[in-house]
Amino acid sequence: MKFVDEFRDAALGEKLSAEIASIVEPGRHYKIMEVCGGHTHTIYRYGIDDLLPANVELVHGPGCPVCVIPMGRVDDGVAIARHADVILTCFGDMMRVPGGNGSFLDAKAAGADIRMVYSPLDALRIAREHPDRQVVFFAIGFETTAPSTALTVLRARAEGIRNFTVMCNHVTILPPLRALLESPDLRLDGFIGPGHVCTVVGARPFEFIATQYHKPVAVSGFEPLDFLQSVYMVLKQLADGRCEVENQYTRVVPYDGNLQALKLLSQVFELRPHFEWRGLGFISQSALQLAPEFREYDAEIRFAVPGIRVADPKACQCGEVLKGVIKPWECKVFGTACTPEHPIGTCMVSSEGACAAYYNFGRVARERVVV
Amino acid sequence: MRVTSVDDTCGIAVCVGERGSAIEVMIALVSAVRIGDVLLVHAGTALTRLAPA
Repeated sequence: MKFVDEFRDAALGEKLSAEIASIVEPGRHYKIMEVCGGHTHTIYRYGIDDLLPANVELVHGPGCPVCVIPMGRVDDGVAIARHADVILTCFGDMMRVPGGNGSFLDAKAAGADIRMVYSPLDALRIAREHPDRQVVFFAIGFETTAPSTALTVLRARAEGIRNFTVMCNHVTILPPLRALLESPDLRLDGFIGPGHVCTVVGARPFEFIATQYHKPVAVSGFEPLDFLQSVYMVLKQLADGRCEVENQYTRVVPYDGNLQALKLLSQVFELRPHFEWRGLGFISQSALQLAPEFREYDAEIRFAVPGIRVADPKACQCGEVLKGVIKPWECKVFGTACTPEHPIGTCMVSSEGACAAYYNFGRVARERVVV
Repeated sequence: MRVTSVDDTCGIAVCVGERGSAIEVMIALVSAVRIGDVLLVHAGTALTRLAPA
């Protein structure tokens, strides 16, 4: 299949692997962070780490949109869903994310009308079909997903659909990256930029990482050769003493992003003063809410939302996993009390979560031997 | 996903994915979508055109 097969060529992968090995400095340990759940998935699905020298370590940052949702937001969603006239809709990955009092799936089992949708457009269709019900879309995701929510809100307004609202949990990728770069806990050598977020925002917003923090960045695609080439680009910059933002994913990412999408986002959303990230705490201006012009579509205004704050379970170390401080297998409950079937933490829920990616691609036994 | 039909009035295209399933996709962010185009689709919205028809 075009755009897939040519980026999965094993011989080219081996060649890239050899080139990477040839440019790393023996005795130096390299830490490269990726901040996209899709990349985490690619690494373990294709065994990318097996193709890298032992002194090149891949660290997973807060790039999975499901994983960064704090438990309190799930409880807030459940509180809305318990209204008798409400149909709460969400992406499939959100259904099993644990809140303080269970997940959406638990609430559905207890009688709440909660439905999985593929896109917010599906939620709007449900609203059209049920004019006597209030349909709430529990929106999650980074800048990649936010345009879909924005277009749906515009569509709802154009069609005069009043029984549709959004509980907005859209987050932005740059503030947590800055927080991580300021953290004394983490020493990083470079970043793999999130290709799909960059499809919308472009590569340019990541320049501060190179200019202010002197770390190289390579914006990457999602096939195995994309990712290997991006690792090579970061390591080559380090070898050359350069710090730049390079775009490996040129077939998709314009350096300045999708200007129509950026205009749309600034029309429909505004930045929240602050937002809680699972494991990272409150980060200023790191999330979106509907702009004043669209407040009638804001579920948090239409419904009384308790604004619940819940501490993560003590055994769960999702926060440290999301900050790249520990690897999934180093969490106390990984693969034992916390599994994809019975997740305690968000990182084990979504297929893009670091813990689920490790678990699903057979890393449990091997990594435990290493520890 | 490959475009199989376009409704410009509604800003919607029907696209077929790798596994053959068809979905409706909002196309407001990609200009002049045509049948046969290959689009990068995320959460029901086309973000860019990978290849023209």
